[in-house]
Amino acid sequence: MKRKISVILALLFLFLLFWAQWNWKHLSSFPSIISSFYSKEYCSCYFVVELSEDQCHDFARQWVPISEFKLDKENKSVTVKGLGRSNTAQFQSKEYGCTLLND
Amino acid sequence: MKKILILLIVLFTLQCGKDLSPFGGEPNVSALPKRLKPEWPSPDWKIVKPESVGVTSAKLKLVEEYAFTRTGDETDRKGRRTDAVVILRNGKLIYEKYARNFTEDKVHLTWSVSKSVLQTMYGIAVKQGLIKLDDPGYYHYEPLSRDEAHKKITIRHLLNMSSGLAAEEGYESGPLKSSVIAMLYTRGRKDMGSFCASLPLRAEPGTQVYYSSCDTNILSAILKKVYGAEEYDKLPFEKIFKPLGITNVTFERDGSGTYVGSSYLYMTARDLAKIGYLYLNDGVWNGERLLPEGWVTFTRTPAPGYKTTPYSDDLSQDNYTAHWYANTGIPNRGIHEPWPDAPNDTFAAIGHWGQMLYVIPSLDLVVVRFGDDREKAFIKNDFLKLIKESVIR
Repeated sequence: MKRKISVILALLFLFLLFWAQWNWKHLSSFPSIISSFYSKEYCSCYFVVELSEDQCHDFARQWVPISEFKLDKENKSVTVKGLGRSNTAQFQSKEYGCTLLND
Repeated sequence: MKKILILLIVLFTLQCGKDLSPFGGEPNVSALPKRLKPEWPSPDWKIVKPESVGVTSAKLKLVEEYAFTRTGDETDRKGRRTDAVVILRNGKLIYEKYARNFTEDKVHLTWSVSKSVLQTMYGIAVKQGLIKLDDPGYYHYEPLSRDEAHKKITIRHLLNMSSGLAAEEGYESGPLKSSVIAMLYTRGRKDMGSFCASLPLRAEPGTQVYYSSCDTNILSAILKKVYGAEEYDKLPFEKIFKPLGITNVTFERDGSGTYVGSSYLYMTARDLAKIGYLYLNDGVWNGERLLPEGWVTFTRTPAPGYKTTPYSDDLSQDNYTAHWYANTGIPNRGIHEPWPDAPNDTFAAIGHWGQMLYVIPSLDLVVVRFGDDREKAFIKNDFLKLIKESVIR
């Protein structure tokens, strides 16, 4: 019985490994979504639409919470950390709004 | 055996001529009614009482009640969450209201309404003779020349959301494999056009409609090549916004300086109504033709690829004309009008989380609604029905 369970577990692990390998490009970039979405959408909400800090947090928050947040009013940028990844969006101008800075 | 074969051939030929669709026929794209006295907003809309242009204020109250009654909890971002409604009749402003700290001077994120304004940029490029609808994309944009299949994608296919590229337009529901999220926030953000052009094909270009932000951002990247970076930077501001008197506007770009035509245009409700008014007037603004003859008909005609797109219940939700939506339905595909209680000639630009610009030529109406709906609580058909019922003559 014990042997059966370990065979099933090993197969399951192998399947997971294959699945992760198959989807690696999606999986590897996924954690960055939380901080890039939050920083970009907060930056635009605050510097382009000019809503309040509270309203912009409400606009940008997602199901996965973030761990760090920095609004730099002087440099007009927003840096956010979530799922271990950090991203910054910066306000460029009235015409061109905010852009995520390249990694 | 021979007899059976002949019978099968006869049956097959009979079947070919038979209309198998539930409704049959082509979608009805009526001509725009002649507008005798356009009222150009210079510099802004003239404000009048609804009754003076044949609309009843009492019925407009019902529109307001529908749009501005909060039906959910703010902390959970549920229910109908309207930020702005602006209604124009006969070129005059008859209704305007804002909520959730928005005002007439505040721009709002339009999400995919941006796609319809990028389509305006194409109208201008076509009128200037810089680009033709049936040009293969690779003539202008090298990343689309990666193989023979990609070389078949034309500008028209892209505008009709029929490139055949295997994009995944999922947002919150399937973030892992969503190509639109990868394009905007991770793998594609540095250069969205080339990220999208590198996707494999799922169908022969032109044969299947699949709503895709990738198609739009390839179009945006093509325009950059056609105009050159310097002129492209000024293009929407000089060629669209300035003639229409729009000064308070933001159009964000990706890491390579290409407009994110799929998602990131910010406008006020009053100014977005001007885009609608340009289309209501067949692409003419203040006596000057900005968009080519026939462009608005192209805008209101369902994508030809629908004829061969496999049927699904989601089809009626798609962006099924040329980067705009129309209320024609696709009769020969068995697809109803998306808003059955609105006039059949209604056409629209529509964006994520409740952004809407409606043009209703038969009623001479332009309607803008902005919101932040995180669930599908705002029913477009109900809203449009109330607006239609407010018109008394």
